[in-house]
Amino acid sequence: MKTQTYVLNMGPQHPSTHGVFRIILELDGEVVVKATSVPGYLHRGIEKLAEARTYTQVIPYTDRMDYLASMLMNWGYVAAVEKLMGVEVPERAEYIRVIVGELSRIASHLVAVGTYSVDIGGFTGFLYCFRDRERVLDLLEMVSGSRMTFSYFRIGGVADDLPPEFFPPLQKFLKDLPSLCDEYDGLITGNEIFQARTKYVGIITPEMGIKYSLSGPVLRGSGIPYDLRKVRPYGVYDRFDFEVPVGKNGDCFDRFVCRIKEIRQSARIIQQAIEGLPEGPIMAKVPKVIKPPAGEAYAEIESSKGILGCYVVSDGSTKPYRVHFRRPSFINLGYLDELLVGWKIADVIAILGSLDIVLGEVDC
Amino acid sequence: MFGQGLLKGLAITWKELFTRKVTVQYPEEKIPLPERYHGRFELDVDKCIACGLCANACPNKVIQITREKVGKKQYLTRYVMRIEYCMFCGFCVESCNKGALRFSHVINMNQYFRDKVRLVLVDRPVPEVLPEEEPAKAADGSPAETRGKTARAEVAAGKAPGKEG
Repeated sequence: MKTQTYVLNMGPQHPSTHGVFRIILELDGEVVVKATSVPGYLHRGIEKLAEARTYTQVIPYTDRMDYLASMLMNWGYVAAVEKLMGVEVPERAEYIRVIVGELSRIASHLVAVGTYSVDIGGFTGFLYCFRDRERVLDLLEMVSGSRMTFSYFRIGGVADDLPPEFFPPLQKFLKDLPSLCDEYDGLITGNEIFQARTKYVGIITPEMGIKYSLSGPVLRGSGIPYDLRKVRPYGVYDRFDFEVPVGKNGDCFDRFVCRIKEIRQSARIIQQAIEGLPEGPIMAKVPKVIKPPAGEAYAEIESSKGILGCYVVSDGSTKPYRVHFRRPSFINLGYLDELLVGWKIADVIAILGSLDIVLGEVDC
Repeated sequence: MFGQGLLKGLAITWKELFTRKVTVQYPEEKIPLPERYHGRFELDVDKCIACGLCANACPNKVIQITREKVGKKQYLTRYVMRIEYCMFCGFCVESCNKGALRFSHVINMNQYFRDKVRLVLVDRPVPEVLPEEEPAKAADGSPAETRGKTARAEVAAGKAPGKEG
């Protein structure tokens, strides 16, 4: 019998893409033979917009890349500008950055875990994750005044000190967090249906992970313990004791489990940061008008999705000559076309969800 | 054993049944907002010196200031925020040296018509003499004070779109 493949369009409006993302699937029956991803529907030209803004004014735009972990996006950008200017960030500011950054990572991973559960078909897990994410957002709201787009980092420090009413709910949250993670494990990870859908699906081998320069939980799920906070510590990360969770098989399940384990580790880091929080200024002495010397700088941080790099070129004026972001979601997505081949159409959703992309960041 | 994970999940959801609910019935009940919340802007006209630092700090050119010279001083006649372009980053509030521009806790800023969105914080005519420079007439009804008060009252009550829709 002679059969032929057919083309199925998925997206741009599809709930499991978590935004506007399109995949053109060529199918042989139920099996994918070719996948072509089409990003770019959420492109706002943030890199170009930055060229018409002063160095400080770029910060709110970085919020809008990975809007689930805005603090970390802020951090990537200010780290690059600080490197360019040679600014030494005060210790208290570094500790505050670690606290809010890790809280942001927890919030981002909670969305990743929850939405992955709902992609697979478990709506309950989604609600539990969002219930607890609200608590993190409440905490960050106390600090920055916003719930999602914080714009809290400044070049040379942070905008404001941590308010005193921030600490009691934070301590309570950190105390509850292990049991909350146990709840997610019980609801989602331990669920047989979930395991059947995700185990040994969409396997990324360590070699391919490195070849495609994947990063974050997507790479660590394949068993490579590459975390910038550990291998090339920036800020004050070398002072904290934490583990880098890794997976074994590199399948969707391992990537998912890695995120829950990272939430637990983030809680450990925050606890240590609160205990070691020094007194002192929260802003370095930077001029009011920021005018870095002509030159270029590239700084990297470990965001919740992977390695966020920021490249800033200065021509000596008050506005950056060029800004470029290495967005982890975008780089991780580069492997998707190849990864999908050979899997069934239902697995496409499982694989895409396990990469945990945020379209604001992919399209930038 | 197959099914054990499902039962464990069910046990967790059962337990949740007996905990306190975390949601509130929104329009009737409201969650208290934190001190630093980025709500609608408010401007203390008496403190504002019309320096324009806030307008310069804004990444999106949201703030439009019109000022006129009265005597030796700059007099703020119009302060308009094109709030539809505002990102609520708070750079304008941070740049204000006088503490004139602040965030309020008003979160209801939705409008049914686009032309109602614009936030007019100050809109007042130019006085011939600045209120404080005017010769004291306090004895007979004090026109200076009343004028100052009208400007303030206008800001407090009127021009900012208070009502929704």
